[in-house]
Amino acid sequence: MTVADERSGQAGGHVAPGGQRRWRAGTVFGTLGIVFAALMVILVVLLAVDQQVVTAVAARLQGETVPWTLERQRLGRNLEALRLEGLRVLTARDAGGRDEALFVVRMLAAQPGVGDDPRAAELVAEVEGFLTRVAGGAGRSDMLEWEALSARLRLLADDLSVEGGQRVTVELERMTRVMRLSRYKLMVSVLLMAAFLGSSLFVLRWLLILPLQRIRRELSALDGRAAPPDMPLATLAEIRAVGDALVRFHATLRENEEVRRKLEHLATTDGLTGLCNRRHFMGLAADELARAARYQRPISVAIADLDHFKRINDSFGHAVGDQILQGFAALVGDTLRQTDRVCRYGGEEFAFVFPETAPDEAARLADRLRERLAAAPLLLADGRQVAVTFSIGLADASAGTLEEGLAQADRALYAAKARGRSCTVVAEPRRLQP
Amino acid sequence: MLKKAILGVFVIFAMSAPLAPAEAAERALRVAVLSHSPPMSYVDASGELTGFNVEIMLALCDAMAVRCEPVGVTLDRVVDGVAAGDFDFAAVSLLATPERRARVAMTKPYYRSFSVWFARPAVKPGAGRVGLVRGGAQARYAQGHGWATLMLDTHDAVIAALAAGTVDATLLPMPTALAIQQDVRIRALGLTTTVVQDAELSGDVCLSVNPRDPALLERLNEAIDQIKRDGRFDRANSRFIPFRLQ
Repeated sequence: MTVADERSGQAGGHVAPGGQRRWRAGTVFGTLGIVFAALMVILVVLLAVDQQVVTAVAARLQGETVPWTLERQRLGRNLEALRLEGLRVLTARDAGGRDEALFVVRMLAAQPGVGDDPRAAELVAEVEGFLTRVAGGAGRSDMLEWEALSARLRLLADDLSVEGGQRVTVELERMTRVMRLSRYKLMVSVLLMAAFLGSSLFVLRWLLILPLQRIRRELSALDGRAAPPDMPLATLAEIRAVGDALVRFHATLRENEEVRRKLEHLATTDGLTGLCNRRHFMGLAADELARAARYQRPISVAIADLDHFKRINDSFGHAVGDQILQGFAALVGDTLRQTDRVCRYGGEEFAFVFPETAPDEAARLADRLRERLAAAPLLLADGRQVAVTFSIGLADASAGTLEEGLAQADRALYAAKARGRSCTVVAEPRRLQP
Repeated sequence: MLKKAILGVFVIFAMSAPLAPAEAAERALRVAVLSHSPPMSYVDASGELTGFNVEIMLALCDAMAVRCEPVGVTLDRVVDGVAAGDFDFAAVSLLATPERRARVAMTKPYYRSFSVWFARPAVKPGAGRVGLVRGGAQARYAQGHGWATLMLDTHDAVIAALAAGTVDATLLPMPTALAIQQDVRIRALGLTTTVVQDAELSGDVCLSVNPRDPALLERLNEAIDQIKRDGRFDRANSRFIPFRLQ
């Protein structure tokens, strides 16, 4: 990471020159972690609160509601007891039994528990008053009144028992409601967590995995001769740094490639004429000879030399000499076929190799070159024309080594020079060694 | 003589009845109980100690999973004995008066009560000679109002005094009044009865606990809730009282 990145990282987000915001990985994943922890805490608190509520309801159920319910049922039971004792008061055979029953009625009516429910207190007081009044002897209408009171006692006893159960039911329903709500909360929380995890994975993929895959692809395709890697602006500062480094690395590769190519060119070409140099030519020609030998194809080699070149140099100067050499090289490159190889063999000497070509055909090529050279004399700056000719010796190289072929061609060249220059001499085919 | 007889009954009772065998290793709780106070605690025809408070004591000790050793006392000894730590608690129904609360720890109320005036016809409360049990809230009330009283040790003794004509009236807690009304000797007297709801004579009825043992108080309160929930309280109620104590 560069110094600039460090500085931007401290501020959390940083707007890159491209206009896109970038973040440090620590900030991004730290934030995700904090959000996750906060979600967990909220979930735990929600569940704890619900548990608290359920515990409180359960405690109230046991500590208040159930005792209250039991007292209701006891009160209902006492109303039934009152009804039976009342019946005993009305139906007792003797005064003793009646007094005893009436005493129990009075004790029952005086019970503090009866006062807990206003309906019971009112009805019990009414019943006690009635029984006290009719204890001396009940008439027919009294019995009818008792029937009504008795029925009311029974109904109220039922109501009290039911009310007791009702309250428990209400509390239980409340508890069930809380539990159900709690379950929904849990479900929502779990869904929320799943959504969070899913989106985290998506963010991870988008921020980290995809850019890394991109980097891997670009790295494996990295080539100094190819176009520079196309790295889109990454959101994470670290990824962006790697992308930038990749682009810089590619630029370095490309520079190296150019330098290498220049060096290769320098190593294989002749600086003046732009033709192959002798060393490079020897390698290429050896390959061509090997191929021709392998497929038993004709191949010829030749060595040409510009006639009277020393005299030209002496008369016109070396600059003109160089111009002549360059002009000749250009003409050779223009006239020869694509498969033919030529090099500046040294001074004003040039070496050739003609694949798939017998010496006779090569001689025709040499003659054509000679004609074109004669047709295009070099025009000097002062308007004078300089006509140049060359001599050339050709040899069959389909059998034997390159050095032997070139030596033969060299001998033929000497023969051409001896014949008066500006001519082509084909070396005699070698006699096979016995 | 009477005290010796009471003691004798309890010695036999204590030796013959290990109440919670599983807890044999633990120290047995010493529980004060009355023996001549029907229907709350008395000796039945077969010589067994029984009654509502005795059943409640058995149920509470069972609920607490402790061994209990009942010790017979008279009512006037209950508060002193519990306050002094002679008893761990007393299975005796005590109205939770401020004076008692100042001396002993009280459980939550296990029922509420009031008092009943029994008198020969035409004897109004405060008139005539009133027979009372020593140590009871009713005795304290009578003394406070300057009544002519005859203090006795047990409720049985009060019945005997009423039957014999030694006293003209008595003031009794409601459950005891229910039992006395059943007594043939009393029925023959044709006594008048009056419910007395005076604040000093009615209200919450609790068990008294050694004030230096708050843990026991806590356990007894829980045990009371438990036996009310599991029905043992109501079963004892049905056996000894004609209606539900509330």
